[in-house]
This record gives sequence, structure tokens and C-alpha cells, in this order.
Amino acid sequence: MSNKLNLYFDNAATSWPKPEAVYRAPEIQMREASGNPGRSGHTRTLESDRLVYRAREAVANLFNVEDPSRVIFAYNATDALNIALKGFLEKGDHVLFTAMEHNSVLRPLGRLRQEGTIVSDVIPCSEEGYPDIESLEEAYRSNTRLLVVNHASNVTGTIAPLEKLIASAHKRGVKVLVDAAQTAGVIPIDVQKTGIDMLAFTGHKGLLGPTGTGGLYVSRGIDLKPLREGGTGSQSESDLHPASMPEKLEAGTMNSAGLAGLIEGVNYILNQGPENIRQAEDSLRKYLWDKLQNIEGITLYGPKSSAAQTVAVVSFTIDGADCGEIGYILESSYGILCRTGLHCAPLAHQAIGTFPEGTVRLSPGYFTGIEDIDFLVKALHEISKLAAG
Amino acid sequence: MASSCYITFPTIFYAIRAESILKNHTCSFKMVPVPRSISSSCGTALRCECSDIYQIKEYLLENNLELEGFYRLEEEGLKTPAVKVLNLDYPEVDK
Repeated sequence: MSNKLNLYFDNAATSWPKPEAVYRAPEIQMREASGNPGRSGHTRTLESDRLVYRAREAVANLFNVEDPSRVIFAYNATDALNIALKGFLEKGDHVLFTAMEHNSVLRPLGRLRQEGTIVSDVIPCSEEGYPDIESLEEAYRSNTRLLVVNHASNVTGTIAPLEKLIASAHKRGVKVLVDAAQTAGVIPIDVQKTGIDMLAFTGHKGLLGPTGTGGLYVSRGIDLKPLREGGTGSQSESDLHPASMPEKLEAGTMNSAGLAGLIEGVNYILNQGPENIRQAEDSLRKYLWDKLQNIEGITLYGPKSSAAQTVAVVSFTIDGADCGEIGYILESSYGILCRTGLHCAPLAHQAIGTFPEGTVRLSPGYFTGIEDIDFLVKALHEISKLAAG
Repeated sequence: MASSCYITFPTIFYAIRAESILKNHTCSFKMVPVPRSISSSCGTALRCECSDIYQIKEYLLENNLELEGFYRLEEEGLKTPAVKVLNLDYPEVDK
């Protein structure tokens, strides 16, 4: 394996590398089981049914979901958020969301607004990326039904104060949809303890699984209108989609090969211990933050202290240098992979003051070594010297 | 004439959950395609000895399983079996 590929600082986009079993499991599923889950009753189908069930159980276990039938699978977090938003919101509803939301929330809400289905308000966030609780308290209306919260920002890593936000919403009977794209697998999440009403997650980031996997937890008492309807293998005589969970929100052939990999990703996390993963990523982030703070010409974004609670994401700019150019030099001269630009979260950049230029984003992962960070820091020292002329 | 009993489920989720929950149960059973003579929402059913069906039903209900129907099939070679819909409200019925 090329050494260059090891300098992967784009885990917030998709995690790499994956545990070995994650690579192997989809191949085994395709070669050895491969029946279409839910269809007919032969042994291969049953094997695939069991696999989908195990995947549901694994995810339920990780998020402390009591009833695995409340976990439904989707292509990714964006898909899950669309299922939640378009299935929950009705004509005349008012929706609140924070300025740190990703386009996966902003755009479905934009469409619902454009079609005249909903009205919405954005909760402003501080320069560090924290939602302003006072503004939230003042934003509720009599028709507010949903608050959407990005659990952790993909731009700054800022972790939203979930408990405070959920308490505020629940006091008014408002449900809370949490976007866990950046947190599932790297921050322990307990849906029962926190009272999360809906949780959207992706499989290919912190859960260390393949792309094309993700899903949504829907608490009891929330009845979503399906976004997609079709074959489920059950109640085939009816021209209406089944009403029982989880089939209600899943139509068409399941991604059993992908879910085989996802199970291995989740099992890896459970074996390592979610707390240990959190600690390891947190110390990598702190180490990187402290080193970058000492480089002249670099401006860091997000919570100012390295001791703040964040996920392993560091955004920065270099005085006098274009973000895209920094990204290009990092890869072409040093073999370092990162993301540059707006990271699909335009309001977040407005909040932290980096719109429309964006930032360079570094996101180490569980498999990043300290020596990788040292090499990256050395590269950024050189690039910032170059920028200063 | 051999007879065997069947439990059907509203969806495949509950069929597989039943199988998973019954792993530690002493009764023997098998997950099979639903016989054509039975009407079911889900294509997979649980087949067991008729003497065990009440006990299995109770165990699954204790574990919050959603069940759809209970049947006894009288099989005679490859002929379409005679189906009896079971009422399992009481253990003594239809053993």
C-alpha cells in the first residue's frame, strides 16, 4: 500500500481505512448468501433476512434502541434525513433548524418551503458553532413541530448541546431530529437517555462501514409517511405499502452486501469500545489543534480551546492563500488528502465568518498516527511560510 | 396422515426475530416458506410440532413479538393439505 494514502485526513467525508472484516463481509455475502431478503423462503433468502436483522440489531445495540424494528435502513444520512423530513412534516408546519445544518437538511427544507408546505426559521450559531439557546427559546410558534439539530458540525467539529436543545423542544411538545452524520460511531449516543425522537446516521463515516449504508431511528409514537413505496416481499396482494415497521419505510431490495460490511464496522466499534474510540480521536484532534495554533498565518475555526468538546475535525485558513490552492499543494507535494471549500454547509460558514471562501478541513480518524499529524504540521509550516512570501 | 403446525408473521422482521429469540428455547422448529394453502402477509413461517405450538406462541408473545396466525396442516403426500385455523387462546384447545 502506498505510504501517501496513509496520510488521509478526510475521515469526515468518508472514513478510511476500514477494519479488514468490513472489506471482506460484502464479498462473502454476495458469494455465499446472496438471496433477496424478504422474498420467497429458500435458504439463501433466509440467510440474507438474518443478515439484515443482525444489522438492525447491531445498530439498535449501538444507539441503545429498545426495539430494532424502529431502525430502518437507507442509502446514507442524506437519504435518512429526507425520509424523516418529508415523512414527518405536514402542510402548515413550522420547523426550526440550526445554522450548522448541512445541505442534507437545508435543501429538503428548502424544497418543502418552496412548495408552500412548511415555514421555517434558522437558529443562529456563534462563531464557535454553538446554537444560540436564547434565540431558540424565542423562535417557537404555536405550529412548530420539529427542531433539526446537527449533532456535530462537519465544518468546525463543534458538538451541539443536545440535552439543552432537546429539553427546550420537548417542553413545547416539539420533536427533535438529530443528524448524526459526524457523530455515529465516534460519540456514544443513547437515544433513550437523551430522548432523541429521530436519529439519522450514515454507515461509511464513523461506523466504518461501506458507502450506500445508513439509516434512521424513529421513536415509538412517530408515524412517518413513506417516501418510497414498492416491493417488500410481504402482503404482496395489496396495492398499498405495508404499514408495519420497519418495512413501512423500506421499499425495494435491501443493500444486503453493504449491510454485511456495516455489521462488521459496528462490531469493530463495539469491540474497541465507543468510549475508547472517542478518547483516541479526541486526543488526535487536540494534538493537531495545539500544533496548528503555533503556526504563524494560520487561523483556526470552531471552539477556541483545544479542551472543548468537538469531534475530530479542524478547519483553518492561511493568510494570503486560497483554500483550494492549499489543498492542491498538500496533495501534490506531500501526499496529504483533505477537503477544501464550503463543505456543503453554507450557513455554518456564514456563522464562523468564512463565507464564501470556505476553509481547509482536516479530519483525522481512529487509524491516524501521531507521526502522520507531525508530517502534516511540518507541511503546513512550509506552506504558510510560502504564503507569507 | 401427518400434521404439522405453523405460525405466520406480519413481516419478515418478526419472523427472523422469532427465530433469533427461540434459539435458546427447547422446542424444535424450522423457518419455512409459507405453504400455498395458508394466507400470510410474510412469505416465511415457523413450522413446529403441534404439541409445541401453544408454548412457542406464549414465549414469543412474552417477548413482544407480533404474530399473525396459527394453523394446522393435515398432509397427505403431495396433495393440497387440509388447513385448520387454530384458536390458541387456551392451551387445551387444538393440541
